[in-house]
Amino acid sequence: MKKRNKVLLVGWDSADWKVIDKLMAQGKMPALKSLIDSGVRGKIATMDPPLSPMLWTSMATGKRPFKHGVLGFVEPDGQGGIRPVSSRYRKVKAVWNMLTMEGIKSNIVGWWPSNPVESINGCMVSNLFQQEKKGSELLDVSNWPVAEASVYPESLIDQLKDLRVHPLEISLNLISPFVPDVLKMERQEDQKLMILSKFLAHATTVHAVATELMETQEWDFTAVYHDALDHFSHGYMRFYPPRREHVEKEDYDLYKNVVDGAYIFHDMMLERLLGMIDNDTTVIVVSDHGFHSDHLRPISIPKVPSGPAIEHAPYGIFVAKGPGIKKGEQIFGASVLDVTPTLLAIMDLPIGKDMDGKPLTSIFEGEKELKYIESWENVDKYGGELLDTANNQTSNNEAALQQLIDLGYIDDVAQGEGGSDQIKAQIKENNFYLAKSYASAGFNEESLEILLEIEDKSKPDYRILTDIVNCAIRTKRYNLAKEYIAFIRKAKVLGENQLDIMEAKIQIGMNQPMEGIQLLNKVLKEMPDSIDLLMDLGRVYNAIQKKQNALDCFNRVLNYDPENAYAYYGKGLAYLRAEDYENAVEEFLNAIERLYHFPVAHLHLGETLALMKEYQAAIDTLELVRTMMPRVTKIYRWLLDLYEVTENEQKTREYKAILSKIQLGTKTIISGLPGEKLFQALESLSNKNVHIGNSKDVFNSQVLNVMNPDWLSEYTGDVIYVPMQYFGALNAKFEYKFIFIKDEPEQVMDYMNGLMKMRKSSFNPELLADLLNLEKGTMSWFNQQPNLDISYINDIRKLDVFV
Amino acid sequence: MKNKSNSKKILYGGKPYNVPPGGSLGLLALGNIGVRAWKESRDNYLEKNPIQREEKK
Repeated sequence: MKKRNKVLLVGWDSADWKVIDKLMAQGKMPALKSLIDSGVRGKIATMDPPLSPMLWTSMATGKRPFKHGVLGFVEPDGQGGIRPVSSRYRKVKAVWNMLTMEGIKSNIVGWWPSNPVESINGCMVSNLFQQEKKGSELLDVSNWPVAEASVYPESLIDQLKDLRVHPLEISLNLISPFVPDVLKMERQEDQKLMILSKFLAHATTVHAVATELMETQEWDFTAVYHDALDHFSHGYMRFYPPRREHVEKEDYDLYKNVVDGAYIFHDMMLERLLGMIDNDTTVIVVSDHGFHSDHLRPISIPKVPSGPAIEHAPYGIFVAKGPGIKKGEQIFGASVLDVTPTLLAIMDLPIGKDMDGKPLTSIFEGEKELKYIESWENVDKYGGELLDTANNQTSNNEAALQQLIDLGYIDDVAQGEGGSDQIKAQIKENNFYLAKSYASAGFNEESLEILLEIEDKSKPDYRILTDIVNCAIRTKRYNLAKEYIAFIRKAKVLGENQLDIMEAKIQIGMNQPMEGIQLLNKVLKEMPDSIDLLMDLGRVYNAIQKKQNALDCFNRVLNYDPENAYAYYGKGLAYLRAEDYENAVEEFLNAIERLYHFPVAHLHLGETLALMKEYQAAIDTLELVRTMMPRVTKIYRWLLDLYEVTENEQKTREYKAILSKIQLGTKTIISGLPGEKLFQALESLSNKNVHIGNSKDVFNSQVLNVMNPDWLSEYTGDVIYVPMQYFGALNAKFEYKFIFIKDEPEQVMDYMNGLMKMRKSSFNPELLADLLNLEKGTMSWFNQQPNLDISYINDIRKLDVFV
Repeated sequence: MKNKSNSKKILYGGKPYNVPPGGSLGLLALGNIGVRAWKESRDNYLEKNPIQREEKK
C-alpha cells in the first residue's frame, strides 16, 4: 500500500506580509523563509465580515458562514444566556470529519471554535484548553481544572494538562524580548503587560500541545491554530514604527517591539514544528486576514461590537511547501474558502461540489488530478461527534467571554437577571453578520431581508442602516434607500457626508450621474483624503468618459496609497476609453503587479493588446482570463475574434461552438444622437408594430439601472433603445446587433434646443461639445468591441432592411 | 524534591543546556520539551529556595 504523506497546517490569525517581509529581509523569520524558498507563497483573500471564528470555520469547511452556521464571537447557550462561539452551531462537516470518514488520523489543536471537541479519528484539543479562569480565580494557579470537553480522547488529559502555561507563570524575563525595558517597570502597574503575559501563555500552551501530539501520537494530518498574532496586533500595533502623532512617545518607546517580537516568536515555534517532520510532509501556513501596519492603521476604533476588525487588512498569507508543490513561486487568487478544497486535493480526496472554495491547483507542479463528490454531508460514514457536555462548567467560558470583551470584540454582557436585553442584542449582532455574509456573496436580497428584520428604529444602529441603504441601492430599491436615508438623517446616527455619498450613489443609479458627481465633489471638499470617495468619484467619471477628471481622482488615491491596485486599474480604464492604449497597458500592468488575481484588469489588458494589434499577447492574456472568469461571454467573443484574425481555424470553430452554447441570445439595439432622426426612426418602428423596449423609460429619464448587470433582461421587444452613454454597461451574456442612426451634432443641437423651448438656432456650445464628445466616445467604444454587428443608417427610410 | 526528571535533555551546541528556572523564549518555542524542562527547573529551584516560593504565592 502506498505510504500516505503527512500534512501539517499552521494557522496564524492576522499574519500579514508587510510585517513578515520586513522581518524576513532582516533575517528574523528564518523558518518561514525556508518554507517560502522551497515552496509557494501568496496572498489569501479574507471575507466580509472579517471575524476570525467565522473565517476559520470557513477555512475548515470550504463554505461561507451562511452555510456553516458559525456567526460572530458568541452564541446563545440554550439556557437564556450566551457563551463563546462553539462547535455546536457548525452545521456542516469540517475537514477533520471528512478525514475521519476516510480513516485518516488527525491532530487538531486550538481551532477557533472547536469546543466541545469531536470524537474524530485522532486527537482534538479545543480553543478553551488554554483558557484560564476569570476574576479572583485567575490568581489561583494551582486550582486550574482542564476545561470541560476540551480534550479528545479524554485519556490524554493527564498527559497534556501540565503542558498548559498560566499567564501568572510568565515571568518578566520572558516578556523582555517583547518589552526590553520591562525590568524597569512594575508589572502590576501596567495592564498591557498582563495582557501580553496572557497572549504568550496561550500561544505557548497551544504549541506545547501540538508538539506533544505530533511527537507521541500517530497522525496523517495536524492542524494547529494560534490566535496570538491577532491579539498581539490589536493590543500593540498602534505602537508599531513609525510613531504616529497621537501615540504617546513614552508608550511608543516601551511597546514598539511587541509586534515584531510576536512574529519572531511564531517563527521560532514554526522552526520547532518543521524540525519534527520529514521532507515528505506538506506544510501550509495560512492566515485569515492581514493587519494594517502602516499609514492605513486607523487612528481610532469604532465603539461598536467587532469595531477592532477595522484594523484587519483584506489579505492574509498563504505558504505551502511539500512533495509535488512548486518551489520558489508566487501563487495568486487564494481565498480562505480554498483551504479545505486544497487540503483534500493534496490528500487525493474528493472535493465537495457544494463547497464555495476551489482547490488551489496553481500550487502544484504539473496537472493535478482532482476528484469531486456532490457533498461530504451525504457520505454515510462515521465522521466524529461532539463530546457530550453538561455545560455546567462555565468558568472557562466566562474567561473566554471576558477576553472577547477586553479585546473589544463584544460589549460587556450582564448574564442572568437584567442581561436578557444584551443577550438579544448579541443574537441580533450575529444576524447582522449573517446578513453581511450573504451580501459579500452577492446575495443582496437575502441580506436585505435579514437587515430589515433586525433593524429597530427605536434603537438606530448606523451599521445596519448603512447596509440597508447599500443593499437597497444594489437591488434597485431606490425609494427604500431614500426612505432610510431620510430616517438616518433625522436620527442623526451618521454624518452628513456619509449620507451625501449614499444620495450620490442613488442618483448615479438613477441615471443622473452629474448630480451624483456634484454631491460627491461636495463631500470631497470636506474629506479630501477619503480613498473610498475618490475611488467612487473616479469610477463615475470613467463611466461618463471624463478621462482627466477620472485620472485626477485615481492619482490622488495613489498619492495616499501607492500600492492601490484598483486606482491603477481605474487609470488604465480612463486611458483605454480615450484610446491611449500604451498608457492603458502600463496602468493595467501596474494594477496586476500589485494584485494578480484581478480578473477584470487582465481582461482589459487583453482587450487593449488586441486593439494594439498585439494579437498573440492578447490571446495569451485572454486565455488566462478565461480560466479566471470562465462564465464571462465577452472573453470568448474576444478570443473568437482574435483566432479569426490570426486564421486559427481549429480554435475559431471551438470558440464558435462554445459561444453558441453560453450566449443567451441576440438583442437588437437601436441608438444614435438624441435628435429628430432618432425619434422619427423609433416612431416609424412603433407604427409598424415593431415593439420598442425601453424607449418610454429613457425618454422620460426614468430609472435605467445600468449598474445592475441583468438590466437588459428586463426589456423585451424586437428592438431595444439604449442611449449611447450606456453601451459600456451592456451585458456580455448577449450577442448584439446595433442599428445606429447617424445624425449631425449641429442638427441634434437645434432639435434639443427646440425641446428645451429655446430658439432653435441658438448656438449652445456646451451642448454641442457634449454631443460631439458622446459621438466620439461611442465610435471609440464600437472600435473596442469584439465581433460587433453594426449597421449605420443615414436615411431612416432604409430602416426596414435592418428590422 | 523530584528524584527523577520527566523531561528530555535539551542540547545547545551539542552540549546539555542548563535550563534557567525563569525559562526563556527559546524554551517556550521548543513546545512540549521546553515547557517541561522549564517547569522542572523552576520547581527544583523553588524546592531549594522555599522563601522564593512563599513570595511567589
